[in-house]
Amino acid sequence: MKADVKILDGNTFVVSDEAGDIEASPTDPTGLFSFDTRFLSKWVLTVDGQRLNPLSVDDLQYFETRFFLVPGTGTVYIDAKLSVIRQRAVGGGFHEELTILNHDEKAVDLDVRIEAGSDFADLFEVKDALQKKGEYYSHVDDGRLVLGYKRETYVRETWIAATAACAVDEHGLTFNVHVEPHGEWTTDLHVTPGRGAAGLSIAQPKYERHAKSPLPIMERSLERWLDDAPTLACDWDPLKRTYERSLVDLAALRFSPVSLPGHYLPAAGLPWFMTMFGRDSIFTSLQALPFTPELAKTTLVALGMWQGSRLDDFRDEDPGRILHELRFGEMTAFEERPHSPYYGSVDATPLYVVLLDEYERWTGDTKLVRSLEQQARAALAWIDDYADLQGNGYIAYQRRNEQSGLENQCWKDSWDSISYRDGRLPGFPRATCELQGYAYDAKVRGARLAREVWRDPGFADRLEKEAAELKRRFNRDFWVADGQYYAIALEADGSKVDALASNNGHLLWSGIVDKSKAGAVARHLMSPAMYSGWGVRTLAMGEARYNPIGYHVGTVWPFDSSIVAWGLRRYGFKQEAARIAAGILDAAEFFDGRLPEAFGGYPRELTKYPVQYPTACSPQAWSTGAPLLLLRTMLGLEPAGDNLIVDPALPVGIGRLELLDIPGRWGRMDAFGRGRVDVEKRPRARAQLGVVDPAAAGKQRGR
Amino acid sequence: MTEPTRAFFTRLSEQHQPMLESMTGTVRFDIADGERTEHWYLHIRKGDVTVAHEDGEADCVLSADIGTFDEILSGRMNAMAAVLRGAVRMDGKVVLLTALQRLFPGAIEAPAEPPAGYARRQS
Repeated sequence: MKADVKILDGNTFVVSDEAGDIEASPTDPTGLFSFDTRFLSKWVLTVDGQRLNPLSVDDLQYFETRFFLVPGTGTVYIDAKLSVIRQRAVGGGFHEELTILNHDEKAVDLDVRIEAGSDFADLFEVKDALQKKGEYYSHVDDGRLVLGYKRETYVRETWIAATAACAVDEHGLTFNVHVEPHGEWTTDLHVTPGRGAAGLSIAQPKYERHAKSPLPIMERSLERWLDDAPTLACDWDPLKRTYERSLVDLAALRFSPVSLPGHYLPAAGLPWFMTMFGRDSIFTSLQALPFTPELAKTTLVALGMWQGSRLDDFRDEDPGRILHELRFGEMTAFEERPHSPYYGSVDATPLYVVLLDEYERWTGDTKLVRSLEQQARAALAWIDDYADLQGNGYIAYQRRNEQSGLENQCWKDSWDSISYRDGRLPGFPRATCELQGYAYDAKVRGARLAREVWRDPGFADRLEKEAAELKRRFNRDFWVADGQYYAIALEADGSKVDALASNNGHLLWSGIVDKSKAGAVARHLMSPAMYSGWGVRTLAMGEARYNPIGYHVGTVWPFDSSIVAWGLRRYGFKQEAARIAAGILDAAEFFDGRLPEAFGGYPRELTKYPVQYPTACSPQAWSTGAPLLLLRTMLGLEPAGDNLIVDPALPVGIGRLELLDIPGRWGRMDAFGRGRVDVEKRPRARAQLGVVDPAAAGKQRGR
Repeated sequence: MTEPTRAFFTRLSEQHQPMLESMTGTVRFDIADGERTEHWYLHIRKGDVTVAHEDGEADCVLSADIGTFDEILSGRMNAMAAVLRGAVRMDGKVVLLTALQRLFPGAIEAPAEPPAGYARRQS
């Protein structure tokens, strides 16, 4: 199997093989993609009719890569007199600097060819056999190769140009190259996607003008990004590496909405989910708030702009609802998919209010809170007016678009994620428990904003009353008394869907849990049935549908565990939160600092290393955000008025943890934490945080 | 000029638009009707909209034929999808289109009673 090489800038990205070639097929989704459309499905370099053989690939940055190649492929011994270097950077489209070095004492004449083509596939159809409804064309225009696709008024084009002299035909570019002894030859290649109707808007490649070697502006932007983030100092090196990896990955995951040029929010995942997702953008913004608060700001503004305003069954849209996903491809354009945008998510709307309040607590940016008052009020109104599908005062979901809408509209969106202990699946509408927690938190936080920023004490009183009432009912209706935890969901007839799941941790985070019940919930989360040693399983071991490699029924999701840790801290379970941080951060080390979306729920003693769950998408935004949130929970960072409270509880193994220049309403502040280091464990080749002796573990659980 | 489009512009200027409160700018609609092109010029100032039946420089320009605008402004066609497939051409600031499209009617008529959350606070 050929390895994929990916580089990207926002929603423009290139996936190629290790030689830098693109030859897309349904099983090999390579290409140049932009705005959810493939603009190149073929990009193959030959020298004298021969393909090239990769010697090495340098991933210079997430937006730039360099391929070292020699002529000839296959297993034969290579005695190359030529080297070929392709240096490629994404920006607008992509730019490739092609260099050929002649190592011989004789001059050579070469026939260098780039074969180019595009199927203009929608991202939604790249893995299917294509049945395009429009027509393809290609022509040579002013020395440029233009590849095009037209369906009614829908037009997409790819423009390909070179700086060196070449012959251009409808399938590619040919260079007749002469290279002197020990000389070199070079050309720049520009590939630019164009969208629109008559009169295409062609993206301007984003390179610094007149730079000797074209330097993408992203490189400067990345430096600034890293400089602006707080500095981490600590005596446990893997954490520093994980932190740096998270910051760089978060930079790569930044996405600038078309309506807010120059501003960035976190997209959901790289490369296939480089778009605005309500839930993922909000959660990642929450995780990253102490580090890069501007992500939250852009998320709030952009999601507010797209807030639902009418009833539309195809898009599952209601007034006040926050979008689920926005796409720009052909299938969206022709309403074969509802993503223009699609609104089928029920957690994004209450979480929108949660993020708005949390953002203000950190930044003091009351101006934004005032400017989004309408949106926040509409989101709060949506909870009561449109989300109560069971008629019992709880948020529930059931899609109205039965063809292409999402069946499960909570974060655990796979078909079997919500079940009874015995494995039965509930009917629809479904009211999952964490949604009620988010609704409660949204009302409590909305009340604070109403009182302090919008100056509407009447509205604040009403929200607080509703929140208290919701909490009272919830603790009665969802509590599984014989298990001492909250049911994962409620059916329309009031039946408790009684599986034990990680959603309980989200309930702690929301604050909806009665104090008297919190201890039992925390014990469950840290029990062998739920805490694998690396993190908290999505579904408890012992439930009928438990499967350590089931997507939402037993795997550990770093994002989920980070929210659980936050919840445990909220109710005072500091040591438990630290143990979760220890497990997840240990796992991160096995993945070179880049946590996957999910990994296997096997007990840590059994596998010794976290078993990765296979997914096509990495890094994933909220996994990238998990170490950031865990830094917050370990240091116990909490804004209080214009101060930042620091209340550290570090896992055993971290003696010193410092986070310097934390941005917020206080300007910049430093946080310091001291912890216990078990001296006897230090000399080991690789210290792991989460491995504690049983006696100490018992003490931490307070038994 | 046919009914849905005219009705939309009339409605827009008659009342304050809470959903446009954070928005200031100008939008021009270029509506092709056979050989003629009609221009409608919207001046949005923090939720108040003045509508003029005239040409002029605008921050955002939307162009399409009258049939397309009638479909959109009666809720039978989605504006964003129409822009993506080139049935409506957009030039200028996307942010204004994003804001304005929220006022376009949906595929289903909204309930007669507006939900409580949309009542504006009296201050």
